[in-house]
Amino acid sequence: MNGLLKVEKLNVVYGHGEDAVHAVKDVSLEIAPGEIFGLVGESGCGKSSLGKAIIRLKIPASGKVVFKENDVSKFNRSELKTYRQEVQLVFQDPYGSLTPRMKVGNAIIDVLEVHRIGKNTAERRERVAELFEDVGLEPEWAWRYPHEFSGGQRQRICIARALALKPDLLVADEPVSALDVSVQADILELLEELRATRGLAFLFVSHDLAVVRNICARVAVMFNGEIVETGPVADVIDNPQHDYTRQLLDAVPSF
Amino acid sequence: MAMVCLGLVIFFTLLAIYGEGVYRYHEIKDITPAYQMTDLDKMYQPPGSIHWMGTDGLGRDVMARLVQGVRIAYKVGIITSLIAIPIGVILGCLAGFFGGKVDDFIVWLYSTFASMPGLLFILAIAMVVPGKGLLGVYLGIGLTTWVGLCRLVRGEVMKHKEQTYVQAAKALGLGSGRIMFKHILPNISHVIIVTFSLRFPAAVGTEVIMSFLGIGVQGEPSWGLMIDSARMRLWQGMWWEMTFVTIALFLLVLAFNLLGDALRDALDPRLND
Repeated sequence: MNGLLKVEKLNVVYGHGEDAVHAVKDVSLEIAPGEIFGLVGESGCGKSSLGKAIIRLKIPASGKVVFKENDVSKFNRSELKTYRQEVQLVFQDPYGSLTPRMKVGNAIIDVLEVHRIGKNTAERRERVAELFEDVGLEPEWAWRYPHEFSGGQRQRICIARALALKPDLLVADEPVSALDVSVQADILELLEELRATRGLAFLFVSHDLAVVRNICARVAVMFNGEIVETGPVADVIDNPQHDYTRQLLDAVPSF
Repeated sequence: MAMVCLGLVIFFTLLAIYGEGVYRYHEIKDITPAYQMTDLDKMYQPPGSIHWMGTDGLGRDVMARLVQGVRIAYKVGIITSLIAIPIGVILGCLAGFFGGKVDDFIVWLYSTFASMPGLLFILAIAMVVPGKGLLGVYLGIGLTTWVGLCRLVRGEVMKHKEQTYVQAAKALGLGSGRIMFKHILPNISHVIIVTFSLRFPAAVGTEVIMSFLGIGVQGEPSWGLMIDSARMRLWQGMWWEMTFVTIALFLLVLAFNLLGDALRDALDPRLND
């Protein structure tokens, strides 16, 4: 398999000495291009730390993140900037991840400017309008402030901002957990559509097995910083091998 | 209440602009303005129809000098802010954003500044500056009063640095300078605006004290000099110069302080969300 992203024996540690918290322990996984890879586990199991290490917001203690055959930790400034275009992130909290005092369109233009996408402001404004259409928002809404949008709309804006850089991989850290169930379905539909039309790969971090089952092809189950089980979503959820996966499945309320 | 204060601040601002106009006019025409003209026949006249606020010990109109005092107070307030606020904001941003050694150094620097008694430090700087007059006042106040703002900005930046939108900006590949000044700074601008409106009257007050002590303004009608000269004859019943200058100072400081509070209420995103 020629993976888009390979994580090899990754360890993430917070703090030093006796107080150190080992958030991610020897995690290895691989994501293929155009695949939605699920990562499930309870709060505090290290899912978000793994996501941060992958996008290099957190420097891992050991292990490697390999993207398109290149070791992410060895990137210099300009390579890192390219990497920032290729791998993007959507956070759980759509309220907090937009700069409150900046019109959302300007926030996206800011990103385009930094990465020198588009020749001038007019061209970038056009690009913003296209992005808004792509994620199902009215283009003229781009000139409003974040507080004028609902949670689901904000998450769409965050996705639009991530798409502005035309990434190959989107790390979605609990992208729907903060949203109403009806809105969740819309966003998941959007993600699936992006996968289908753009060949975008996802690392879909979630604690919600039902959501993961819906959208992911393969899934890894994380417990106490370790991946305890990994495989196609049908195998893992219908025929769990590890005790923790069974517990997690039992915890899903059935009506 | 806030509107009354805003009205007062606008009124004082217009007075200051008018005062500057009068000052410039006389400078260009190269004539001594009436508020500087000594006329011993008219000394210590109580408030009346010609001199609404009376005259001082050298027969000069108190009201005209008071207006010139507004001009000087504004100059001190604005210029010291232009010195102190950039220092405080830039150092505070750097310390809060980068942390580590940068933070250690800046905290050490402002702790050193803060450990010296304020007025003594200001006076020391003013004494060192060559030539007496306003330059010493500007530098003295400007270089010593950035500490409080720096501390506030540092704390706010530290708080914002951990927020998701800053993490998102980093993940999007935005540079530190852009994140600090374009993304974080607008979110803490209320701190700066409120600080400005609160330190403005403090700077005016300090200037009055410095001039009163004879280290500030020389030869121009600053409020400090007016209070200093008025105090000599106060016990003889020459109350008007002292009274009107003090009322003006009181109103200016009060208006700015209340306006500062109102601005904080209006601008703090946590209060009106």
